[in-house]
This record gives sequence, structure tokens and C-alpha cells, in this order.
Amino acid sequence: MDQRGIEFMFYGLSSAWLLLAAYAVTLVVRERRIHEEIHRLRNLVEDRDRK
Amino acid sequence: MIFLRHVLTVANKDLRSEFRTKEAINSSFSFALVILLLFSFAFDPTEEMTREFSGGLLWIAFAFAGALLLNRSFVRELPNDCLDALIASPVPAAALFLGKSLANLILLLLVEAVSFPVFGVFYNQRWTQQFWPLLLVAILGTWGFTVVGTMFSALTVNIRLREVMLPLLVYTTLLPCLMASMQLTTLLLAGEPLTSVEGLVWLRFLIAFDVIFSTLAVAFVETVLIG
Amino acid sequence: MRSKLLYACGLLAALLLVRNLYVVLLQLPDDADQGAVYRIIFYHVPSWFTAGMAVLTALVASVAYLIRKDLWWDTLAVAATEIAVVFITIGLVTGSIWGRVAWGIWWTWDARLTSALVCWLLYAGYLVLRTAIEDPSARARISAVFSIFAFADIPIVWYSIEWFRTQHPAPVLRGEGYMDPQMKAALYANWPALMLLAAVLLAVRMRQEAARRELDGLRRQAHSL
Repeated sequence: MDQRGIEFMFYGLSSAWLLLAAYAVTLVVRERRIHEEIHRLRNLVEDRDRK
Repeated sequence: MIFLRHVLTVANKDLRSEFRTKEAINSSFSFALVILLLFSFAFDPTEEMTREFSGGLLWIAFAFAGALLLNRSFVRELPNDCLDALIASPVPAAALFLGKSLANLILLLLVEAVSFPVFGVFYNQRWTQQFWPLLLVAILGTWGFTVVGTMFSALTVNIRLREVMLPLLVYTTLLPCLMASMQLTTLLLAGEPLTSVEGLVWLRFLIAFDVIFSTLAVAFVETVLIG
Repeated sequence: MRSKLLYACGLLAALLLVRNLYVVLLQLPDDADQGAVYRIIFYHVPSWFTAGMAVLTALVASVAYLIRKDLWWDTLAVAATEIAVVFITIGLVTGSIWGRVAWGIWWTWDARLTSALVCWLLYAGYLVLRTAIEDPSARARISAVFSIFAFADIPIVWYSIEWFRTQHPAPVLRGEGYMDPQMKAALYANWPALMLLAAVLLAVRMRQEAARRELDGLRRQAHSL
């Protein structure tokens, strides 16, 4: 393979992959946080209801 | 005809309440002047340089000063639930919107009417040589600005951080309008006729922007205000 | 069942992407005069196609919300816009890196680049706007209108900047630019892979938005206690 500009090719491809990976990670983290919060609130509401 | 009367009533109401307190227009005036002043310190331009960027300088000043007017436009109706009363009144939402845009247009044109002579004096420019074409450009550019600005003012009236949100959304959307106005103003101040090839292209473009966004805004304002 | 299908699609997208990476890096011939850096295009162009699709989806969903007033459409709109912002970012970043080598500069204010940037700003503004509105139906309504305005703005921005001479290479897929058929095939192969990935992300994001609405409801309920 032609070696000219190969480092920039590497930067370009890895930035594309990294951005996608970063977005996927944000999604997962956000999802987890939302579900924890839902769980917590549900318990809270149910506890109150029981009393 | 009745629609037109509604528009004028709303505009009249807005202008009257603004001129009683003068809170938006005063801050807008002084802001425009401060920007004009700061620019001359920041770049210390020669007459030649000024001719190159005059349009950009003026329209940046107008855009910033205009945002202060737009911020107040719908917020003014929030105390005492005036906005709800206006929406409940027999005035259609489109007339309410056009009336408010008209009031903003007049207010911003007043700010511009003061800024042009100040610019002429501070920067040593003869800006009156093509007065009527310049007025036409000012009106068209300002109409584009106010029609989008008033619409977004209605969009953001009930949200948190509206003073931040409004400029963020308005300036991005207005980029083409501001660009055309800047180009045309620079052209006219440099002494070129509005009917030159470049001038006509930008003029047509500016008119197209005004028509498209006026139509969109009138079509959607009811959705925004009433839902 | 649904989430299993989602995982399967995600896995398929990942496989396709890896296979395309292999083709791009090891099978394709070198470009005549650009060196290795031209291989960025296999991510750059399909990203833009995907971003375009996402933007169109956001527009359709926004219009549909205003007609139907069904929050499902709003969910679709926000998910599509977020995906669009991600792919626009990828397009901008990869393009900028390519430009650094091919043009010697990171950025130039030509029509394509500037409208892309304005597009990014508009849709990022849409996402910021949403965070500032509490009431779900007001949020949906207002952001739908803004989305329509943003979409209408893009072609106008494009024409406004086109009067300056354009530096971006002519579109390779139609007309002036020429592209080797093998490379064209690789380009078209990477598009469905990215689209599939975008669809999976879209579905995940939509599910999340629904969960977030549920969370809002629970918060109100807890607050009223």
C-alpha cells in the first residue's frame, strides 16, 4: 500500500470509529442512569403508597 | 382588511408600550453604539479598510442590538398573563405575530437610523450617497431578521435560559439573511449601484429569504402559540 | 424478542463494518495521486449519506408530529436528530483530516463545508433547545417547528455561500468526478453498514427517550407525594 499520508489516514479512520464508539458508550451510560433513576423512583412511590 | 387592522392594532400596542418605558429600545441603541465604538478601537481602521468591512460591522451591530429587542418582544406579555389574553382575543395568531414583527421592524429601523449617521461620523464615510437603495436593503434585511427573530421569540418565550437560547437559534438560522445584507450594504457604501450583477443576485436572494421565512412563520405561528 | 433483534442487527452492522474495513485497508488499489489518505472517503461520504437520511427522517417525524400529535413521532425526531449530529460530526472531522493532507489546510469557508457546519449548529441547537423545555408536549411542538425551520434553512445557507468559489471536490458519484468502479463498490458497501448501525442506534435512542418520559412522569408523581 502507498504509504503517503498514512498517519492521516489512520487519524481519519480512527476518528470515525472513535466517534461512533463514544456515542454508543454515551447511550449505554445514559440508559443505565435512566433505568437506575426509574427503579429508585418506583421504589419510592411504591413505599409511599404502602404507607 | 380586518386582518390588516388587527396587525396594525397589535403593532400600535407594542410600539406604544415600548415608547412608554423605552427599556428595550434604550438598551438596544446603546448596545449598537458601543459596538460601533469598540470596533474602531479594536481595529483602528483606515477609510479604505472601513469601506471593505462596513456592511459586516453595521449588520453585526444591528444583529446584536436586535436580539435585545427580540428578547423583550414576547416576554413583555408574560406579566399579568397578557400573552394568554392576547391568544384568547379574537385576533388571529398570524395577525398577532405580524403585528409584533412590524413593531420590531420599526424599532430596529430606528436603531439603524441612528447607527448610520454615527457610523458615518466615526468612520468618516459618506453613507448618504445612495440613500434610497440603502434604505431598501435595510428594510429587507431587517424584515428577514425580525420575522425569524419574532418567530423564535415566540418559540422561546416560555422556556428556561431563553436569553441564551434565542441568539443561539436566531443567528444560525439568520446567517444567509445577514450575509446578503452585509454584502449589499458594503456594495452600496462602496458606491456601486444596486443594479450591478452582484447586487441583483444578493437582492433577489434577500427577497427570497424574506418570502420563504415569512410564509413559514405565518404558517406555523399558531402551532407555536396555541398548539 | 425486540432487544434480541436489535442486538442481532448491531452485530451484523459491526461485522459489515469490519469486513468493509478489511476491503478498504487491504484490498483496494492505491489512488493515483493521493496516497493512503484517500481511504478516508469510504467513511466520509457514507457518513454524509447517513446524516442526510437522518435529517430527512427528523423532518418527516417533525411534520408528522405536528399533524398527528403523537409523541412517538417526537421520539423519532429527537433520536434521528441526535444520530444526524453524530454523523455530521464524523463527516466534518474526517473531512477536515482529509483536507489537511489534500489541501494543506484543516478548514476552508467554501459552500459545502460551511453549510455542513451550519447544519451541525442548527441541529445541535435543536438538541439544546429540547433540554430547556420541561413540558413534553410543548417540547415536542416547539422543537418540531424549529426542526422544520432548520431544514428550510439548509438549502438557503447553501446558496448564500455558493457565490464564493467552491473548493470541495466535485461529487464523485454523479457527473464530473470519476471514480474507479471497485472503489465505488466499496463506498456503496460501507453505506448500508453505517445505515444499519444508525438504525440500531436510532432504536436504542428511541427506547431511551420513552424511558426518559416515563422517568419524567415518575418524577412528577414522586414530587406530588
